Amino acid sequence: MAEPAYTVASDGENTGEEKTSSAFPEIAIGIDIGTSQCSVAFWDGSQVELLKNTRNQKLMRSYVMFKDEIPSGGVSSQLSHEHEILSGAAIFNMKRLIGRVDTDPVVHASKSLPFLVQTLDIGVRPFIAALVNNVWRSTTPEEVLAIFLVELRAMAELQLKRPIRNVVLTIPVSFSRFQLTRIERACAMAGLHVLRLMPEPTAVALLYAQQQQQTLQDNMGSGSEKLALIFNMGAGYCDVAVTATAGGVSHIKALAGSSIGGEDILQNMMRHLLPNAENLFSSHSVSDIKSMGILRIATQDAIHRLSSQTSVQINVDLGNGVNVCKVVDRAEFEEVNRKVFEKCESLVKQCLHDAKVEVEDLADVILVGGCSYIPKIQNLVMGICRKDEIYKGMNLLEAAVVGAALEGAVASGISDPFGSLDLLTIQATPLGIGIQVEGDHFIPIIPRNTTMPARKELVFTTVHDNQTEALIVVYEGEGQKVEENHLLGYFKVVGIPPAPKGVPEINVCMDIDASNVLRVLAGVALPGAQHPAVSVMEVRMPTVDDGHGWCAEALNRTYGSTLDLVTLQKKI
Amino acid sequence: MSASLGLAHQSLVPKHSDFRRVYLNTRKPVSSCRQRYGVVTCCGGRAKRSFRSEKNYYELLGVSADSSSREIREAYRKLQKKHHPDVAGQKGHEYTLLLNEAYAVLMRDNLRRDYDAITGQARTRFRGDCSNIGYSSWKGPLRSQALFVDANACIGCRECVHHSSNTFVMDEELGCAKVRVQYGDDEQKLQVSVESCPVNCIYWVEREELGLLEFLTQPQPKDGYGVFGGGWERPSNVFMAAKTLSKQLKEQPATATPFTASAATEEETPAQAKARADASMKIKMEKFSRFWKLIELFGLNTWNKK
Repeated sequence: MAEPAYTVASDGENTGEEKTSSAFPEIAIGIDIGTSQCSVAFWDGSQVELLKNTRNQKLMRSYVMFKDEIPSGGVSSQLSHEHEILSGAAIFNMKRLIGRVDTDPVVHASKSLPFLVQTLDIGVRPFIAALVNNVWRSTTPEEVLAIFLVELRAMAELQLKRPIRNVVLTIPVSFSRFQLTRIERACAMAGLHVLRLMPEPTAVALLYAQQQQQTLQDNMGSGSEKLALIFNMGAGYCDVAVTATAGGVSHIKALAGSSIGGEDILQNMMRHLLPNAENLFSSHSVSDIKSMGILRIATQDAIHRLSSQTSVQINVDLGNGVNVCKVVDRAEFEEVNRKVFEKCESLVKQCLHDAKVEVEDLADVILVGGCSYIPKIQNLVMGICRKDEIYKGMNLLEAAVVGAALEGAVASGISDPFGSLDLLTIQATPLGIGIQVEGDHFIPIIPRNTTMPARKELVFTTVHDNQTEALIVVYEGEGQKVEENHLLGYFKVVGIPPAPKGVPEINVCMDIDASNVLRVLAGVALPGAQHPAVSVMEVRMPTVDDGHGWCAEALNRTYGSTLDLVTLQKKI
Repeated sequence: MSASLGLAHQSLVPKHSDFRRVYLNTRKPVSSCRQRYGVVTCCGGRAKRSFRSEKNYYELLGVSADSSSREIREAYRKLQKKHHPDVAGQKGHEYTLLLNEAYAVLMRDNLRRDYDAITGQARTRFRGDCSNIGYSSWKGPLRSQALFVDANACIGCRECVHHSSNTFVMDEELGCAKVRVQYGDDEQKLQVSVESCPVNCIYWVEREELGLLEFLTQPQPKDGYGVFGGGWERPSNVFMAAKTLSKQLKEQPATATPFTASAATEEETPAQAKARADASMKIKMEKFSRFWKLIELFGLNTWNKK
């Protein structure tokens, strides 16, 4: 039997998450690693509770300080002084950096952070370093995240008095599969097993489903379906989801997401307050880092105050004789961040459109995440949805982690005698997945917002006479051209029987299971043949580890169009 | 280059349709359904018969062929709660895939109609509300009047599509225009479209009549007798047919309509219950080995047995 060969064939890089099927021995905890804050929640047998750290905080700053010999994260560390975090010795915003290459605009935007982010703009991972005793010490986002997760795990194990292995993590909608593997990697480094990676708004949707079920006592069958729009904007990412909820089942209709968030708003404001801020950002000398830290804190504070006040006075001494003294009102703030708000608007509209939902049919509009305190954000979302009231009953900053803990309990096979865990999330794929055809064109095989688990297939054919090999290059994204999408991996189908172009049939099938593992299968046959010409190939994606830009370029340079494919028959 | 490729591809498709039937495993409902759909256009009757021998989406979801989308949704959710891999573990994967396929088809009105046409599931949805059997959807609130194109009279000039592209679409297979979205454009544009029709085949009709009219104007498969008959037909006067049908419906609300002679009954008979149980058993057996299923997907099975 060939079966054992296939079961072993999974890629070592992606494992550590051997997704066992039945009987989970323990209840997975939920972790929400935010760009700026982080929290842990667990199912205590009757409800979800949030863990508190030694300083009695439920929300902990996400950063890792490289000050002493042993790096320490924001979980247990006693320091609470923002200036120290911004001194260059701490790495934060790792969620924005993880799994991104140095051509990514988000990485470029991160160059203005106090720690060092260097790019070579060739499509490799950026160089990241923290300032330790006046030395730039290099690290990676995965390492930083893993250090942080180790601390979280230690805290949870101490408080729950049991070993923690399984976790459900929330992730932004816009994360590519490659970024997901980086998160899994960081978890594996911290000795954690990822049970599920849940897009943040879908975690909120699960919590909403539970609340609806409890308030309405509305069990299966009698269920009137409720549509809700969930808008989640934190420091790093903005996500939108439309969910249909009934009887404890949250069915995700559509997802949309982008890497814009509070960090962008903050940087826009800093540049607005200090027009030549760029010099300050780029130099990374100790005194400039200090000035930058002061400005950052003052700006952050001003933005927070603008949520309740109509105008704020900013008066701050940056040292080196530079003073910022300004009054900023809301209109000015909104103008400075116009692009950010426009992007939010378009995400909400796109999500509603993809879900094929009319705003009149929305029962609730849920806003979560730190940026949802901003009046402009509230107004624009409510404006598009034509609603007067935001859904009450969600803690803006805790909803996602509570949802993750619920999913952790459900996916661990726990059932609750009172039916509080009679829940289910039916997920959808946030990004389309397909292959490269006819040069640089992208053909999606599993389109965006397909209900998971999903399996789809398409038939392709050769472009040259007697072409015996074909390259299957798998991408993820929405762009028409492959360059606009994320490269996931590639493999070669060999042994295609010699035939005129357009005759051999190459069947490419993609399969995503409920834990979001993607498998790509390819088989070859000649028309009329009873058997396929070669053995079917099954490849678990993503296979690309690093240097995305290089891979695609090198493939192109070496093979050109000699191994190209073209769609034979598009199945809609 | 792409143009020439496009041509090549068109000429290829019909030639290899036989092959595809062998190549892709017919137990997979997606491919088999679509593949047959391709076949239907040339030889409707045969495809219809072969499909009946297999399990169908309605059986899978355990609903009757005339159930409303709400019933389908509830059945889908109930089954998902039992079989979703989050609940049932990895062994729920294959079953959930099928559920998702079935749901995706049955929840989209146009896909469901195609599916019904292929499988020969005549729907008996007349008896309750007649307004939900039509083709067009509504934009904005329901109004008392709706637009309807008499396909018999339409000459396919596309004037209406040109003036109100959000409302009218061209049915390329039938060669006539139809309303896809009621009030998809503003009223002024709609009026222009109606007036622009050279044969005056666009009518304002009462909303209650719309469903029946749109249903009747869709060509229905005709019973064949040996070599005679068969093919597709629609009533020559849709308005008269609608009137007659609605009268019949009123007179005998409980008995079958002319269109449901062969159709599924409301209540599940013991035989049907058994059939459904068998079908789900079969599905469970199928996913017994994931690997074999994948092999079969590419038709490797026979090859391996050698």
